[in-house]
Amino acid sequence: MKTLTVIAAMALLLLYVWERVEIVRIGYQVERLKVKKVALERERDELQVKLSALTSPERIARVATGKLGLVPPERGQVILVDLKPEAPAHRGRGPTMLDVKLARNEPMWKVP
Amino acid sequence: MVSAPRRGRCIVVALFLLAGFVVVLFRLFNLQILQAAELTVKADRQHRKAVSVQGPRGSIFDRNGKVLAINVDVPSVFGVPASLDDPSGVARHLSPVLHVRAGEIERKLKQERSFVWIARKLDPEQGRRLERMPLEGIGVVMEGQRFYPKGPLLSHVLGFAGMDSQGLEGIERRYDPYLRGEKQMVVLQRDALGRTVFPKGLHEQTPSTGHNVILTIDEVIQYIAEKELEEAVTATRAKGGIVIVMEPRTGAILAMAVNPRFDPNAVQGISADRWRNRALTDTYEPGSTMKIFVAAAALEEKVMEPGTLVYGENGHMVVARTVIHDHERMGWMTFAQVVQRSSNIGSVKTATALGEERLYRWLRAFGFGERTEIDLPGEVAGLVKEPRDWGRRSLASIAIGQEIGVTPLQLVTAVAAIANGGWLMKPHTVSEIRDEKGRVVVRASPQVRRQPISPESVRTLSKILEGVVTHGTGSKAAVPGYRVAGKTGTAQKIDPKTGSYSSNLSVGSFVGYVPADDPRLAVVVVIDEPQTEAWGGVVAAPVFRRVAEQALQYLGVSSQEPVKLAMTSRSEMARP
Repeated sequence: MKTLTVIAAMALLLLYVWERVEIVRIGYQVERLKVKKVALERERDELQVKLSALTSPERIARVATGKLGLVPPERGQVILVDLKPEAPAHRGRGPTMLDVKLARNEPMWKVP
Repeated sequence: MVSAPRRGRCIVVALFLLAGFVVVLFRLFNLQILQAAELTVKADRQHRKAVSVQGPRGSIFDRNGKVLAINVDVPSVFGVPASLDDPSGVARHLSPVLHVRAGEIERKLKQERSFVWIARKLDPEQGRRLERMPLEGIGVVMEGQRFYPKGPLLSHVLGFAGMDSQGLEGIERRYDPYLRGEKQMVVLQRDALGRTVFPKGLHEQTPSTGHNVILTIDEVIQYIAEKELEEAVTATRAKGGIVIVMEPRTGAILAMAVNPRFDPNAVQGISADRWRNRALTDTYEPGSTMKIFVAAAALEEKVMEPGTLVYGENGHMVVARTVIHDHERMGWMTFAQVVQRSSNIGSVKTATALGEERLYRWLRAFGFGERTEIDLPGEVAGLVKEPRDWGRRSLASIAIGQEIGVTPLQLVTAVAAIANGGWLMKPHTVSEIRDEKGRVVVRASPQVRRQPISPESVRTLSKILEGVVTHGTGSKAAVPGYRVAGKTGTAQKIDPKTGSYSSNLSVGSFVGYVPADDPRLAVVVVIDEPQTEAWGGVVAAPVFRRVAEQALQYLGVSSQEPVKLAMTSRSEMARP
C-alpha cells in the first residue's frame, strides 16, 4: 500500500514536470512560428506592392503599346450590346449560359 | 575496522563539505530571504521587456479592390558607437550594401552617442544582405513604410503619410483616425539568451491594424483622365489642368486628375503648391459654364422658354458704362441659342430679367459659395458675393461667369444635379471602411443635399445643353454613338501685375454629362493658361470626348445609336 502511494506520488510529480517542460517547449515553438508568420506576412506585403506596381494601368499601357505593338481599338471595332431580358433566346441548342441568365431575370411564374 | 589516520581524514573531508554547505546555505538564505524583494524586482526587469508597438497602417484600395497605398515593413539600420572596436572597418563593410560613402558612415559611428541611425527605411533586399553580415554594434529594426505602388496615379486625392506613419494630406489625412494602427505597450518575457518566451496565461497582445479604406475611384478611369489631361496640357503648353469624373446618381467621384502630378513616394523637396488638390482648394472664374445655371434659374422661374426670342444687339452692348461683347455678331436668337452659341449679351439679358436677388438665390441653391462637403481636406467655399455688395456691373458680370469664384468640384457637382433630375448630391470619394478581418465599419451611402430644380426644367435644359454639342460651341465634345449635354467656358484670368483681365492668360473649360437621357458620367475639364488656343470648345471639349468615350466603353455603357462597323473586308470574307 505504502509503496503504491509512493509510486503514485512519483508518477504525479513526473507528470507535472513533463507538463511544465512541454509548455516551455511548445512556447518556444509558438514563438518561432510567430517570427515565421511575421516574415511571411512581410513577404506577402512586398509581393502585394510588386503586383500592384506591375498591374498599374500606366505600365500595362506602356507595355501594350511599346513592347507588344498593340493599339487602342478604333471607333466601331468594339460594339457593346445591351442585353434585355425579352431578347430572343437561342432555340434548339439546349440551354446556354445566356438562357440561364435570362431566365433568372424573369419572375418565377413567367418561366415556362 | 577503520584505522585512526583514515578516520581523521574522513572527518576533515566531512568538515570541508559541511563548511561548503554552510556557505551555500548562508548565500541561499541571503538571496532568497534577506534580498528576496529587491532581487525579484531586478529579475523581473531582466525577464520582461515592455515595448511600444505600433499596429501597421491600413491600406487604401480603389472601388475594384486594387491596392493604391499599402504599408510594408522595411529595415532600418542603427549603430551603437560605444560597442564598436573598429568603426572604420564596419563602415567599409556597410558602405556597398547601403550605397552610402564609407566616410559618411564612419563619421556617424564615431559620434559620442549611445545610438545613431545609419540609414532608415531601406529596400527589403538590403535588409536581407545586412542580416547575413553579423557585425558587432550594428542592428537592424523593421519600420513601417508607406508605399504607393501606382506612383503618381491619384496622388492629389491619396495625399501621403509622414515618416512616422501619420497622414499628412488627402485621404491619408482625412481618414487618418481610421487608417492609423493602434499603438500598444506589449510586455515580452525573455529567457537568459534574450529569446522571447511565450507569456503565461496564453493571452496574446498584438496591437490592432488600421482599417482599410475603399474608394469610389476607379483606377482605370483615373488613368484615362490623367493620361488625356497630360496630353492636352502638353499639347496646349498649359500651366496645368483638372479633370473630375463623377457618377451623377450617387455623387461618387470616379476620377479626380490634377496636373502637374507628383509622386507620393518621394514628396521631400516638393512644394505644397504642387501637391495641393487644386480641384477643390483653388477657385477660378468659370466664364461661360456659369450660363448653364443662369439658364436653369430662368427656366424654373418661367422668365424664359426655349423659344423666347432675345435680341443679340449685333454683338455689342453697353452695361454700366462698360461694353459687353459677343464672340460673333448676333441679331435675334432663341433662348436655346443664347446658351448653345454662348451669347454673353443674351445671358446678361436673361440675368437682368431674373434680377439680382433671384440670381443670387439660384447660384447658392446650386451650391456655389458653399463647400460641397466632400470627404477630402482643404476644400474652399468659393466666392459668391451677396447682392448688397454688388456693383453696377456685377449682375452682368456674374451672368457671364465673372466676379464669382468656383472650384471645379463645385461646377461638376452642380452640373451632376442637372444630370440627376435636379437632385444635388454630396460628392464623396470613400465608399467603405473595413477592419482587418474585412468587416464593414463604415459604409457611405449617397446623400442628397437638396433638389434645387424641378425635373421638368431639367428636361428642357438638358435638350438645350445637348444642342451645345450637336450644333453649338461644344461640337468637339461629341462622343460618337452617345448623346452628350454640356457647356463650354472660356474665362480671362486676372493679370496679377495689372489687376485687370489679361489678354493672353485664360482658362478653357468644358462641363457636361453623358449619355444625356440616362446620365452615367458627369465630367468637368479645366485647362489652365493654355498657350496655343484659349477657347474651352477647342482646348477642353476634346479632352471631355476622349475621357468620356473610353470611360463609357470601359464601363460597358452601350451606345444609343447604330455604330458603323469598322471591319476590314478580309475579316468579313472569313465569316461563314
